[in-house]
Amino acid sequence: MLNFALRRLSQLLLTAIVSSFLLFVVTEFSPGTVSRQILGPYALPNQVAQLDEKLGLSQSLPRRYLNWVSVLVGLKANPLGDPALGLDLHDSRGERYFGNFGYSLMFKQPVRDVLGEPLRNSALLGAVAMIFIVPLSLLIGILAGANAGTRLDWSISSLCLIITAIPEYAAGVILLTVFVSYLGWLPGTSPLLASEQWSVASQLVLPVTVLALATVGYVARIVRASMAETMTKPFVRTALLKGLSKRQIVTRHVIRNGMIPPLTVLLLQLNWMVGGVVVCESIFAYPGVGRLLLQAGLFGDLALVQTITLLSLAMAGVTQLVADISYVALNPRVRLT
Amino acid sequence: MSDKNDHAYIPRLRSQLAEGQINRREFLRTATLLGVSASAAVMMAGEVRPARAQETPKAGGSIRIENKNTAADPATMTSIDASNSTRQTLEYLTETGADNITRPYLLESWKPSEDLRSWTLNLRKGVKWQDGRDFTADDVTWNIKRLLADETGSSVLGLMKGYMLNETAAADGKKSHSLWDANAVEKVDDHTVRLNLKVAQIAVPEHLFHYSFAMVDPTASAKFRVGINGTGPFRVVEHNPGRNVVYEPNKNYWGNKPYLDRLEFVDYGDERAAVPAALISGQIQGILNAEPQQMPLLNSQPSLQRYEVLTGDGPALRFRVDQKPFSDPKVRLALKLAVDNAAVAKLALGDMGSAGEDHMVAPVHPEYFQLPAFKQDVARAKQLLAEAGYPNGLTFEVAVTKTPAYHVLVVQAIVEMWKQIGVNATINVMPTSAYYDIWTKVPVGLTSWAHRPLGIMNIGLAYRSGAPWNESGYSNPEFDKLLTQAESLADPVERRKVMEPIEKILQEDGPMIQATWRKQATFYSKKVGGFSMHPSQYIFARNLWLKA
Repeated sequence: MLNFALRRLSQLLLTAIVSSFLLFVVTEFSPGTVSRQILGPYALPNQVAQLDEKLGLSQSLPRRYLNWVSVLVGLKANPLGDPALGLDLHDSRGERYFGNFGYSLMFKQPVRDVLGEPLRNSALLGAVAMIFIVPLSLLIGILAGANAGTRLDWSISSLCLIITAIPEYAAGVILLTVFVSYLGWLPGTSPLLASEQWSVASQLVLPVTVLALATVGYVARIVRASMAETMTKPFVRTALLKGLSKRQIVTRHVIRNGMIPPLTVLLLQLNWMVGGVVVCESIFAYPGVGRLLLQAGLFGDLALVQTITLLSLAMAGVTQLVADISYVALNPRVRLT
Repeated sequence: MSDKNDHAYIPRLRSQLAEGQINRREFLRTATLLGVSASAAVMMAGEVRPARAQETPKAGGSIRIENKNTAADPATMTSIDASNSTRQTLEYLTETGADNITRPYLLESWKPSEDLRSWTLNLRKGVKWQDGRDFTADDVTWNIKRLLADETGSSVLGLMKGYMLNETAAADGKKSHSLWDANAVEKVDDHTVRLNLKVAQIAVPEHLFHYSFAMVDPTASAKFRVGINGTGPFRVVEHNPGRNVVYEPNKNYWGNKPYLDRLEFVDYGDERAAVPAALISGQIQGILNAEPQQMPLLNSQPSLQRYEVLTGDGPALRFRVDQKPFSDPKVRLALKLAVDNAAVAKLALGDMGSAGEDHMVAPVHPEYFQLPAFKQDVARAKQLLAEAGYPNGLTFEVAVTKTPAYHVLVVQAIVEMWKQIGVNATINVMPTSAYYDIWTKVPVGLTSWAHRPLGIMNIGLAYRSGAPWNESGYSNPEFDKLLTQAESLADPVERRKVMEPIEKILQEDGPMIQATWRKQATFYSKKVGGFSMHPSQYIFARNLWLKA
């Protein structure tokens, strides 16, 4: 078990290194330089070149990547923090420490300071959304799966399919039109700044609803498929012949066995909630990691994009590890080596 | 009323007003430009400003306005949004109002020499930084020199380069700039600064209000942050880049105290769709500007007040004249004649636009000369193309930025009209930042030209031979000569005479189709008083107040 976890972690590390380098390469070929972004369209070419030099952008790609890694692990002080450059960048944690993700050039602050609040906000959004998504999708999926082939199953499955097919941005606009423009029941955006009229909780309603709509239908269909398949297994027939009621069979035997595939999917959703909710966060101006990633990407704020990507990778690795370990708990026949 | 220190041109200006050669608005603009204070100019114009029937502003209350904000050094600011966040704390030497008239602000007055090559700036006395220190000539000279230094990276450098700096190229081809004369920025005494110019320039007061020209404290970091030391009416008490900025009144403010107890700018990023939703549900009380496609929704809201102003904001679809086939003036004229500008404006902007005349001088500019109508003429356009050797038409690509959204519509409308003369153009929609990396190099592209208060300003930046922002490579000695002449004329009537041939050259030979002028519009809650729409979308929160 420990061996398995360690192997998984080392694979994760390798993936992180390769993907962070790939990101560097991709950024290299994307149009627009960060110096031009900072100085704007009307700066003269010599001014842009001068800033490129200061930021170390005129160095070769492998060299810049190596610098970035050395700063990250604390081997090197971040050259951008040198007061002589006049970039006005300062890190209160000191010059060299492990986990130094560098400076966000868009916000002129250490990446760690920039990321703190959006991470908390995205975690809040994800947690609240999951509180609704998990029970709802399980309930719907089990209901449909346990009654596979019936009229009930058919209606639930079709409804789920339709809801899943509505893209987040469409769902967002429809909800905005109805609940904000016409009815005036809810705030139109979710900057999480409380005002007399709108509490922070009221600002969570629409984004959570959009996330739930986007996820519940999909997860419920996975649950349904898995449940329906499990219902055809021989042990179900045995249980039935043994004289157990359908209710007992479903709750005691089928759910436990049918939950394995949906668990992976649910954990993947968790992974998406922190860092991947770009569309939903943008529609409602929710100050989370997804919206930050979009802003950083458009600006060319490489340090910020890198950090968010690494975080997502770490999140993906950890959730999948949890999923694998849960398999063992749910199904003793699975052996991890 | 007349002062012996007034510019020699003032008496003549007054007689022109009396004879009806110029209107009152032009008189005010030009008189203030020549250093007469705005109130004195109004008195000279022989009219007292009509007292508007309006409610008396009330002190107190808190409002939120949509405005993006960053942590930029004001010197390198590149957006109106960023300047709005600094504007409440950092101030400018001059101020161009919503009426397009530039007045002294941190200055008490300015006075140009007869040849417009020396500008004396008299600082307002009693202006204080938030920390209580006096605002002096040393602060001003330090700021100007900083903005004109290469390493600062400010767009002020490009703006003033022509009359303040020399350019030298090192052996490796790297260019650098230095003041053209050691005495170019001269401190006369503690409250007087003189700018000594390499060549005559009339728009100095307007340039001093360029958004990067905010006065920062020389003794501290210029980065916009909590507690930044400015001379302005508000101080920054909370600053979360990408999210919000919170201000409270500056108790030591030298001018009239602001009405609001608290002001907050909320950053909604580039997601324009979120903004009307926030305004409608009352989360914010005002937005920076309304996009044309948002107008129907916002117009229908009874709690909102619409504000608008016509501007000289006109994107130019320009051709690189050093590349074939655009090097041929016949081709350029054919491409212009194929387009119905009024239809383009209507299609792209609806009631938020009006037709341009392909010469970049707007009806709101004081020196605007009205040429005979420039009409679409498809038959002549076809004939010109044939004469130029392209009887079967042309194919090329037009680059355009994704935002503002109506720019793409302008290009689409033009491209469709070109089909009538056999020109098949494809459209390349690019991210804004990517476009502005190559904006001077693409063969054909639509570039945004922001509103500037004088008609000579944008054409001087964009079409003078060798100018840094001359994105089309246009070079016409006749045009350059006339432009220089126009720039040396303080008299709007005289300048207008020169504008006639200038506008004609640009319209017939110039490298661009400038099809639309844009109105700027925005919406505020009806509870907010004291707002007026500025053509450059500038927000002056010191005027805002909250109704009961």
